[in-house]
Amino acid sequence: MNGWTGTTLRVDLGRGTITREPTNMKVAHDYIGARGMGVKIISDEVDPHADALGPDNKLIFAPGPLTGTFAPSAGRYNVVTKSPLNGVIAGSNSGGVFGPELKFAGYDALIIEGQAKKPVFLWIKDDVVEIRDASSLWGMTVADTTEALREKTEPDAKVACIGPAGENLSLIASIMNEMHRAAGRTGVGAVMGSKKLKAIAVVGTGAITVADPVAFKAAVMDSRDKIHANPVGGAGLKAYGTDVLVNILNQSGALPVNNYQDAYSPVADKIGGESLAANQLVRPKGCFACVISCGRATKVTNPLYAGVGEGPEYESAWAFGVDSGIDNLDAIIKANYLCNEYGLDTISMGATIACAMELYELGLLTKKDTDGLDLSFGNVASMVEMVRKTGVGEGFGKRLAAGSYRLAESVGRADLSMTVKKQEMPAYDPRGVQGIGLNYATNNRGGCHVRGYTIAVEVLGQGAPTDPHATEGKAALGVAFQDLTSALDSTGSCLFATFGIGGAELASMLSALTGVEYSVDDFMKAGARVFNLERLWNLKVGYTAADDTLPPRILTEPIKTGPSKGEVNHLEEMLPEYYSLRGWDENGVPTPAKLAELSL
Amino acid sequence: MLIKYFATFRDLTGELSRKLDESPATIADLLELLSVRYGKAFRGAVFDDGALSSLLILLVNGRNVRLTGGLSTPLSPTDEVSVFPMVAGG
Amino acid sequence: MSKMLMIYPNKCTGCHNCELACSFEHEGSFRPGATRVHTFTWEREGFSVPLMCQQCDDAACVNVCPTGAMHQGPAGSNLVEFSQDLCIGCKLCVIACPFGSVRYDSVAKSIAKCDTCGGAPQCVAMCPSGALEFVEDAEQTRSRKQVIADKFKTIFEDVN
Repeated sequence: MNGWTGTTLRVDLGRGTITREPTNMKVAHDYIGARGMGVKIISDEVDPHADALGPDNKLIFAPGPLTGTFAPSAGRYNVVTKSPLNGVIAGSNSGGVFGPELKFAGYDALIIEGQAKKPVFLWIKDDVVEIRDASSLWGMTVADTTEALREKTEPDAKVACIGPAGENLSLIASIMNEMHRAAGRTGVGAVMGSKKLKAIAVVGTGAITVADPVAFKAAVMDSRDKIHANPVGGAGLKAYGTDVLVNILNQSGALPVNNYQDAYSPVADKIGGESLAANQLVRPKGCFACVISCGRATKVTNPLYAGVGEGPEYESAWAFGVDSGIDNLDAIIKANYLCNEYGLDTISMGATIACAMELYELGLLTKKDTDGLDLSFGNVASMVEMVRKTGVGEGFGKRLAAGSYRLAESVGRADLSMTVKKQEMPAYDPRGVQGIGLNYATNNRGGCHVRGYTIAVEVLGQGAPTDPHATEGKAALGVAFQDLTSALDSTGSCLFATFGIGGAELASMLSALTGVEYSVDDFMKAGARVFNLERLWNLKVGYTAADDTLPPRILTEPIKTGPSKGEVNHLEEMLPEYYSLRGWDENGVPTPAKLAELSL
Repeated sequence: MLIKYFATFRDLTGELSRKLDESPATIADLLELLSVRYGKAFRGAVFDDGALSSLLILLVNGRNVRLTGGLSTPLSPTDEVSVFPMVAGG
Repeated sequence: MSKMLMIYPNKCTGCHNCELACSFEHEGSFRPGATRVHTFTWEREGFSVPLMCQQCDDAACVNVCPTGAMHQGPAGSNLVEFSQDLCIGCKLCVIACPFGSVRYDSVAKSIAKCDTCGGAPQCVAMCPSGALEFVEDAEQTRSRKQVIADKFKTIFEDVN
């Protein structure tokens, strides 16, 4: 078996059983691995109406076939499960080095079933798999858990774990690996917490073999050269990190400010990548097999917010920054570090605080609700304290821990939660960039940018010159990005490899590695298959075309200032064409012909 | 006319922004003017054999010049021009 | 002119490309036990460094080897060579190396030590950050001296 390991590990925490079974190779061929394989397994084995925090949900950790090889920047794994935040099949993607270790240990996927009665951790060393007591670890922060587990197991163990937020079943809790890397979104940390699974520690000594080593190396070197030649993948991301986007989005008039009340900030520069590089950056970091090095090892010396760690990414700087009316980068980084320690999604955490701030300023939340803290926009101390409270599940933090949709709904203003399908939208205002709005509305996990990152073309200069304010052509762009990303996410590759390579290069590497011939068409089709399967699940859960929408503010409230002043998002001009191009009917349901074409 | 510099352009120019006394009529004129001011490295970063460099994102009042005529994009004295190298995604 | 492998830990991003390149070059597959170079990472501080055989002039592994399997390469090669056909697998070299750079690979059942890939080290070729370089004697510390030289130039230009 080449690329794939051919073995899947199944652990039932309720019964305490551990089974090593052959990987379903038809599934592997058709869905590739990682996100795709996870989606197929959840789709087949979990009832769409199961309680996401109950014993019938399953939690899958799945690397892809490329994971663990030197395919450039392809060392990722996916956490796939039914989301407790919004019921979709959550596929949260993470880097670091944990995913490759699962491959070296011999596994294409790890499927966790049932629930333990007391806190446990899973120890995996090749074919030795043990469920072990984790009572002494329960309550520990992520970094402390990681170090404690290395003492309990082996110094080189790779650890994926939850912090207190996941233990408390926060719907915006993440799963962390290598202390600072996150499977962040859609509440996957809460599912792990509901299973009383504190952590997974793994050591792998096996080999990932290659079907055609000469062709694989050639395809890898070609991809590396292309990424290197791309100004973003080759140098830009390494120099400034993703945070450099702050100024680009701001100057384009699409940087959401104060819970999306506006889309331009005169002080944005204070929290951008240039500022970070000058003040808090220690050095760039790269995940397993990475050639891009967008990671930021950082340090804050300001005694109020002192700390050491990784980040912030653009999204995190935005969420704790201008979205909350804040321009203090030290404080923003502290909030980011706290999220890593407690295991919280930085996008949803920051955007939930921003929502709370708007509700507070409207008087819908008062100091009685907020434990006496002034939660006006721009209150730095309150913002940082709210992250801590959410992380440990204290006071008002318990309400924030459920995300902005449930918070806003509880005071009768769900429309003020800047979410799609209950998940917070990230740092691109769809009123300033039309196509990303279509992606937010239609990608299967709700408010999400990475699964259809048309920003690369609409704002960042990749591909042909494209007007961010126009709706024409955005439906086709959206479908292409979503399908490519679905396929890419299923290989184990990082999204940023697309600053340089595309479906052709990924298909080449995949074919040479596995010995299974993937044409570009096969590859993109696998992506469409994964995307449509996610869609079918959502329909069963009860989502309809009415949920493929954006908050009223985005559709009807024009941007107030800046280069996109006066704009709203024209989703209605893009959505019908999107459905049509996808082969779905006018209710957004895949037609029988489409399903047959994808063998669904 | 206000010119704002970002990322590597801050190192190339040594500035965060500059208010111009001159009023160049087009982007081509502006870039020529700035290249004379800041030197060879700047010129190399904005021009590629006389054409607009493909490694550049130039916004005039938030609009990408590639949508408004590239080098021949007209400018008026109250415009705000932002100069970015192509640097990022995420 | 002999070459040596220079390490620049401050440039290391902790990506493990060097290890993957080494394993693939020697075995055609990706296996942690096959790599002769190892990267150590401190996650809290975000610091990483790769380590491999230093090709010592007065090598403990050569001194202790009973069969001459471990021996100095040709004069000027800057290489401690290993001959598999002479090796009896006694593992005294593993015990003797003060840097831990000679390992016994129990899967391949052989000693694993950096051989600079016959003069074209793959770890260097695949490192995306310039943290590893294979440089001539004369060049080995040039880039570090250059940084300091540049600083002196700036100071003296300002003064004069």
